[in-house]
Amino acid sequence: MKYLTYILLSIWLLAVTIPLAWVGVNSLRSSKEIVENPFGVPWLVQGSPYQEEAGHPTPQESAQSNFQNAWVESNFSQYFLNSFIVTSISLIMILLFGAMAAYALSKIPSLGNKLIYLYFISGMMIPAQLTLVPLFFQYSYLSETLSAWTAPLGIEIQLHNSHTGLILIYIAFSLPFTILILTGFFKSLPNALRESAIIDGASEFTVFWRIMLPLARPGIISAAIFNFLGLWNEYLFALIFVNTPEKKTLPLGLSNVSIQAQYNTDFGLLFAGLVIVIVPTLITYLVLQRQLTKGITAGALKG
Amino acid sequence: MHINRELKRLRWFLIAPALILFTCFTALPGVRALIYSFQKWDGFTEPEWVGLQNFQALLADDLFILALKNNVILMVAGGAITLCLALLFASTIHRGMRGAGVFRVAFFFPNILAAVAIAILWQQMYSTTDFGIINAIWMQIQQALPSVFLKKGEIPSPFPFTDSSHLIWSIVPMLIWTATGFYMVLFLAAMQSIPEEYYEAATIDGASPRQQFWHITFPLIREVFIVGIVFFIISSAKFFDAVWVMEAELPNKNSHVMTTVLYQKVFHEYNVGYAAAIAVVLFVLVFIATLITLNFSRKDTLEY
Repeated sequence: MKYLTYILLSIWLLAVTIPLAWVGVNSLRSSKEIVENPFGVPWLVQGSPYQEEAGHPTPQESAQSNFQNAWVESNFSQYFLNSFIVTSISLIMILLFGAMAAYALSKIPSLGNKLIYLYFISGMMIPAQLTLVPLFFQYSYLSETLSAWTAPLGIEIQLHNSHTGLILIYIAFSLPFTILILTGFFKSLPNALRESAIIDGASEFTVFWRIMLPLARPGIISAAIFNFLGLWNEYLFALIFVNTPEKKTLPLGLSNVSIQAQYNTDFGLLFAGLVIVIVPTLITYLVLQRQLTKGITAGALKG
Repeated sequence: MHINRELKRLRWFLIAPALILFTCFTALPGVRALIYSFQKWDGFTEPEWVGLQNFQALLADDLFILALKNNVILMVAGGAITLCLALLFASTIHRGMRGAGVFRVAFFFPNILAAVAIAILWQQMYSTTDFGIINAIWMQIQQALPSVFLKKGEIPSPFPFTDSSHLIWSIVPMLIWTATGFYMVLFLAAMQSIPEEYYEAATIDGASPRQQFWHITFPLIREVFIVGIVFFIISSAKFFDAVWVMEAELPNKNSHVMTTVLYQKVFHEYNVGYAAAIAVVLFVLVFIATLITLNFSRKDTLEY
């Protein structure tokens, strides 16, 4: 029995790692090689049978051109930048607003705290599909109203097909879980810290910003990793609220390339695109996997 | 405790941004969707109140019932195998073994990938052209098996796994591949809070590893296991990305799931009320599931 489970575990290990290695290797093959030499030693290593023919790209050139085509011609550089902008701005706002609210709800005693906390937490029960239909139809109206307010400042707010609109949804949608994690963290910090700082003449805001916030760092880090992965990989909201190619995020760009690959059969490009999407999350995971699994399971058990 | 003015003002300053954003972009749209679900609306003209008509239409709609059936396939077939495998792996790793860390890190890995990337990866592995790794294995198996089991030509080779008519069943292995690591880590975390003395006492009394699992480990993580089941139900009810990507944004009546029907009703058929009704069904499902989870995770703090 013991050996049997060991074998099963090893098979699973292979089942998880081989497809990823397969993506990595195929991103270095030309589309021609993927079809002609799918499971053999890559031409990059053993040399291509077309080496002698004039005008045929060498394996090195093919590997390079996959990534070059993805990055430049298929606009992955633009998608990457868009994903980076949307994810990082959302993330900063989520952590800032989430930490502020969580601190107030856990450290400033007041009658309404429990009610407001429950209000936020109940947001975790709302599926994205429930909010996206109304948001889609309200966004034009909301854009006009907001633009009327900001018109004197010379700012026009457009929520449809804009990063602003997407970021606002991302922030709102991520706040419940973030507040849940961070409230738990602030609660575990002793109240005596605050009291002694106040006696020493610190203002309430200083206590929050200089003392409590730095102490909550472990909680903020796990909330950050969790939200980063969720936002970087997000597809449904982006699909509906971003339309023009120059504003699309990586998952949208990748799915476009995948649909095109069915017709133009440029599989080398597709695999290179997969690598570009996967690598940032892979690095994050390998560096921070301990905090990540801890944060996710904690969230799951509470949620 | 006395709350002074400064503190009160700070409190609202701290809560306000989160409260306003959450209300405007999550809570109010949620309520709004509930209202839509009782209306007939094409998104442009004046909405018309129709009571429960949308929900009645939903139950009579073959497309929705088929989509629901597909969700149930993902839930039951995917969930049963995923949770059993996760439990088996977690209990093996929990009782100590070489390379436990490697297994944990590797098995969890698919969970950090974008659902879109996973879908494309599996679509390529299922590919019927020469490089589809799964079809290559399938063809080997087909050749190796004696013709008693498989008559030649009865099952196509290469097999069109990602055709609409087979898609949902082809997504099941993908789902298991992705989710097993997550539930394994979830169960493992619960198992690690069981005091070691229980196992020591059981070993002294001569209990076999199998008895230890059924009499110590499983009863003590049963609540977390149920949380796992509920989680799987929620996530397979909300399933969207892979079907959408693998069907090139055009699912048909074989491959639809609830969320893709919703998309089609809003953006192709302009039947907003009907789509909102689907969203409300989803919400009710998630709501009930979450209440069950909360109920169990409260009891979760067992006193040992």
